[in-house]
Amino acid sequence: MNLKNQILNKDILDDNELWAELKAGDEQAFSILFKRYYGCLLQYGNTFLPFSEKVQDCVQDVFTDIWVYRNSLSSTVVVKAYLLSSVRKRIVRLQQRDRVFNKSKSVDAIEFLFDFSVEHRLVSDELTAGKVMQLNKVLNVLPSRQKEALYLRYHNSLSVDEIAVILNVNYQSANNLLHRGLLNIRKEWKGDLTLLMMLLMNWI
Amino acid sequence: MKARNQYKEVEDFLADESFRLWMKTQKDLDGWEEWTLEHPKRAKLVEEARLWLLAMNVPEDNLSQEQINTALQATWMKIEQKEQGNKMEQKVIQLWNTSWVRRVAVILVFGLLSLYAYNNFFAEKHYSVYDEIVSNPDADGLLEQINNSNKPQIVTLSDGSSVLLQPKSKLSYPKVFTGNERNVYLSGEAFFEISKNPKKPFFVHANEIVTKVVGTSFRIKAYQNQSDVEVLVRTGKVEVNSEKANQKKIVLLPNQALRFVRKNQTFDKITDITLDKSISSSVKSIEQLSFEFTDIPVAQIFKTIEQAYSVEVDFPVKTLEKCYLTTSLSDQPLPEKLKIICKSIGDNTAYTMNGNQIIISSKGCNYQ
Repeated sequence: MNLKNQILNKDILDDNELWAELKAGDEQAFSILFKRYYGCLLQYGNTFLPFSEKVQDCVQDVFTDIWVYRNSLSSTVVVKAYLLSSVRKRIVRLQQRDRVFNKSKSVDAIEFLFDFSVEHRLVSDELTAGKVMQLNKVLNVLPSRQKEALYLRYHNSLSVDEIAVILNVNYQSANNLLHRGLLNIRKEWKGDLTLLMMLLMNWI
Repeated sequence: MKARNQYKEVEDFLADESFRLWMKTQKDLDGWEEWTLEHPKRAKLVEEARLWLLAMNVPEDNLSQEQINTALQATWMKIEQKEQGNKMEQKVIQLWNTSWVRRVAVILVFGLLSLYAYNNFFAEKHYSVYDEIVSNPDADGLLEQINNSNKPQIVTLSDGSSVLLQPKSKLSYPKVFTGNERNVYLSGEAFFEISKNPKKPFFVHANEIVTKVVGTSFRIKAYQNQSDVEVLVRTGKVEVNSEKANQKKIVLLPNQALRFVRKNQTFDKITDITLDKSISSSVKSIEQLSFEFTDIPVAQIFKTIEQAYSVEVDFPVKTLEKCYLTTSLSDQPLPEKLKIICKSIGDNTAYTMNGNQIIISSKGCNYQ
C-alpha cells in the first residue's frame, strides 16, 4: 500500500528527485520528465527550425540518449536547463551536418527565429493596447541572441548562469545580452511613449 | 531571489515566476494584489511589468496528451533500437576479448594481406596494356569503341579493315592510320579482317602480346581479367610477339591458334584447334560461316553477312530477286566484301554503311 502510494505520487516529485530515480533506472520517472518537458522543448526547437519534423526527432533523440546513457549522467544538473541545452546542441549539430552536405557557407551558429506575441486576452483598454503593441514591436527587432536570452530568462525561468551555458558564453556576456536587450527596449519604448503622450496631450 | 520588497526594476518582476503566474493566469498565490496596493510606487512598477509581460507573450504549446504519449512511445522504440545496437557492439567487443577469436582474426588479416601482396607484386604481370596506352595523353586522336551490349558490334577502320567486337570488349584505333604501321589496341575479344597492305603492317596490341598481320582474318581473345590470351587464325598469316620483346615471335597459319599464359608469360602454340576444347568451343558464328558462294541468291549472301557481322542489310528485294552470285569472300574485311558483291551485281549498285546499318541501292543485276 505504501509502495503504491509512492508510485502514484511520483507526479508531484520535483525534477531533481525524478532525475535521481531516472538515473537509478526508473522508467516511470523518465516518462514523467518526458511528459513534463516535451512540449517546452519542442517549442524551443521550433524557434530554430520552425515546425520541422526534425525538431521532434531531435527532442526524442535527446531523451533516448538520456535513458541509454543514464549511468553516465551527472547527478547535479538543473534538469530543464540541461534538456534545453541538449536540444539546442543537437539542432546545431544537425544544421552543421546539413551545411556540410549542402556545402553552403553560412555562419556556424543557429538563429533564434521566434517572435514574441501580444497577449490580447489580458489587454482591456486601447491605451494599454497601444503601449503593448509598441513594446512588442521593439522587442521583436532585437538581435536574435538578445531575444533568445530574454526568452530563456523570462519564459523558461533560467538563471543567468544556465543561459550562459546554453548560449556557450561566459556569465558576463550572458548578463550583457539580457541587460542590453532590456536597455534597447526601454530606450526605444520610452522615446515612443513620450511621443505618444505628447500626441495625446495635443488631442486634449 | 531578492525579496519582493527590494524589487526596483521591471526585470526583478519579470524574473519572478510567482509574479508572472499572477499576471498571466490571475492566480495570486502570494498575495500580490494586496502587496501592490500597499504602495503607489509599487503599483507603477507592477503596471509597467505587466505591460512587458503582455508584450512578451509566448503562446502555449498546444500539444494534446495524446500527441505527447505518441512521442513518448516513439522514444521508447528508439531506445530499444539503440540498446539493441549497443548490445551487438558489446557482444562484438566481448567476442574480440576471447583469445581464439583474436588469433583467428590475426591469421585472417595476415592471409588477406599476403593475398593482397601477391596480387600486387607477383601477379602484377596482369597489367593492362590497354588502359596504359589508352589513358596515355599522347594517345589523343584515338577513337574508342566499347561494346556494352550483348551482341557483337562491327567496327570499320579507315583502311577498310573490319573488326567484329564481342560483348564486354573495347577497341581503340586511330581515326586515320598514319605512318608505316597500323596500330590498334584491344581489350576483350574481337574477330579481325584486315585489308591487305604489305607496306603498312597491321598490329593488334592485346594485353601482353602484339599480333602482326599483313592481310588476313583472325580472332583475339584478351580479356583483362582472364588468365590467358588467345589468338586464332582463320586465313592468311600472323606473327605474335610479347609486348616485352624478350620472347621469340611465333608464326601462326590458318586454323592454328596460340595461347599466352599470363602467369608465367609463355606462349603455347596449338596446331590443331579441333583438339583444344576451350578454343574450338568458343568459335563464333562468323568463323563457322562459309563465305564461299556458288550460284547463290544475293538475298542469301546478305543474310549470311547479317548473321556474321550482327548488322542489318537493307536491299531492294524485288529488284535483286533474280540475281545469283558465285564468289569467294572468305579473306575479305566487311567493306571489301560489300564492294565485291556490289561490283558483281552490276555497275549501278552501291552500298552505304552507317553503324550496323548497311543500305544497298541497286537497279538490278547485269545479266538479268
